[in-house]
Amino acid sequence: MVVLQLAINGVLLGGVLALSALGFNIVFGVMRVVNLAHGDFVVLAAVFAAYAFAQSGVNPLLLLPFTVAVGFVAGALIHHLLLRRLPGEVAGAEASSLTLTFGLSYFLTGAGLAIFGGRFVSVPFLTGAFQIGPLSIPQARLLAFGVAVVLSLAFAFLLRSTALGRAIRATSQNVDGALACGLDVDRVRTIAFALGTAVATAAGTLMSFLYNLNAQQGVLFTVNAFAVVVIGGLGNYTGAVLGALILGLTESFASYFVGSTLAEAAPYLLFILVLLIAPGGLRGRRTT
Amino acid sequence: MKRGASALAALAVVLLILAPLRLNGYAMDLTYITVLSIGLAYGWNIISGYAGYFSFGQIAFFGVGAYATALLVADAQWFWLPAAVAGGAAACALAVPLGYVMLRLRGPFFAMGMFGMAQMVRVLVTSIPATGSGAGLFLPPGSGITGVYYWTLAVSLGALALTMWIERSAFGLRLRALREDEQVAATLGVETTRAKITAFGLSALIPGLLGGGYAMFLTYIEPDAVFSSRLDLQSIVMAILGGLGTVWGPLVGGLVMTQVSEVLWARFPEIYLMIFGGLLVGLLIVLPRGIVPAIAARFAHRRGQ
Repeated sequence: MVVLQLAINGVLLGGVLALSALGFNIVFGVMRVVNLAHGDFVVLAAVFAAYAFAQSGVNPLLLLPFTVAVGFVAGALIHHLLLRRLPGEVAGAEASSLTLTFGLSYFLTGAGLAIFGGRFVSVPFLTGAFQIGPLSIPQARLLAFGVAVVLSLAFAFLLRSTALGRAIRATSQNVDGALACGLDVDRVRTIAFALGTAVATAAGTLMSFLYNLNAQQGVLFTVNAFAVVVIGGLGNYTGAVLGALILGLTESFASYFVGSTLAEAAPYLLFILVLLIAPGGLRGRRTT
Repeated sequence: MKRGASALAALAVVLLILAPLRLNGYAMDLTYITVLSIGLAYGWNIISGYAGYFSFGQIAFFGVGAYATALLVADAQWFWLPAAVAGGAAACALAVPLGYVMLRLRGPFFAMGMFGMAQMVRVLVTSIPATGSGAGLFLPPGSGITGVYYWTLAVSLGALALTMWIERSAFGLRLRALREDEQVAATLGVETTRAKITAFGLSALIPGLLGGGYAMFLTYIEPDAVFSSRLDLQSIVMAILGGLGTVWGPLVGGLVMTQVSEVLWARFPEIYLMIFGGLLVGLLIVLPRGIVPAIAARFAHRRGQ
């Protein structure tokens, strides 16, 4: 029974992790940029939602459109004003985008601490649980999971069936080909980065039900997103869902069986193992 | 320009050697931290600047050096200096097998893989009883800051000398070749694995040696203090700000960064992190290659080259 309960917790957590990782994945897929500030967008949205709830009792789900819009505009501006200006095809280009998003991560952490302070907050929302026999399903987790699944499906629809989605996929497959077809690659990248941060803020708003957070916890979510994406294969979206489930289950089981300190190491161990055994990810192309 | 730069560097070294005679208390601590971070930046610069393997986990070797030293001093009653040397050896002994495995990864995979590795080492140290299970270790009050400072200065100068040698040697050429294109380097007869692991070992030795001094400086160590992501990130930023893969980059970047960061910290403690991050982003846009290459380019331009 314990095993089943842990599995339920793991899957519910995995849903939200998958949503967050989608945002990280699209940015890497389209731009080959590892966004080290990803987790900070997640955490800032979560802390903001918790404060809005504490101050005026706003339902975090109603905030969702607002946080997503802010995330989208912030991402578009960051790409348009900063990332786009980095030197492109020279040695160390990868290093400079890593450094830039790393500086951005500091900036966002600092801004979050200055605005919201360092207290750990969460949304005490739907604290009850459904009882099914001996199993209990926390309502907040279930809700977060459900919304994450809906948003992920919407995201998948966007990528698969719209002109914008085709442009995004074309750019991530072959930049030169996309340029030759007359795509405005620069604009596609701006939109992709903005979508990435918008998805991160959406995931963050949902995370506010699940975790106690302050502005300094961003690294945790960057690492989680990275681990999920590495496990599933960078740029591979169905792989990322699989990766998120594996990570969610691992965290859930590890914290029960080996204690929370050692469980902290679980995502790292998992992604290093995957990197070494299957460098392209479990469902990735075998080209890396 | 070369001569002017060497004169400035020589002056800086003399001032650093004389520092303990004049400074004490907070100013001395700050000088120590400056020299320490510059040393760490030089260590990081070898594997990440010259060989092009961006690592976010070199702090693991610093922590291992610190813990090895602390254990030898507290439990085995060693004098701290040989213990610090042993700390460097321990870091190196960990780095060589680790390098064999991790250096098969590239780009962001290596960077995040090393980050994960450092976190795992920290978690392990936190959960092993021998290292105090995360509660920390107390060290007997040592020789005071002067001894630790000179040790740190010596290691950092050694790292500078090592970098000067790398800049001119065939080994340095091999590293740069594999940074530009590892496959081409391999086809040209560079033993890439060997060169990478040597660079990785050197990049671990330096923080390992510095870690022991830091343990003596703190006199009480715990995982979060020595596996400090702040020190790690600060040294990375210094090397990039000064100029990645250059001899003087870590020194120039380190001097500029510690001063700027000190002023900011004193004046705007609430928004310090924010300004710091904003500055880093702005500098990358304005000076993408760092301070030293930008100045060198300016001088070359003036001479009409």
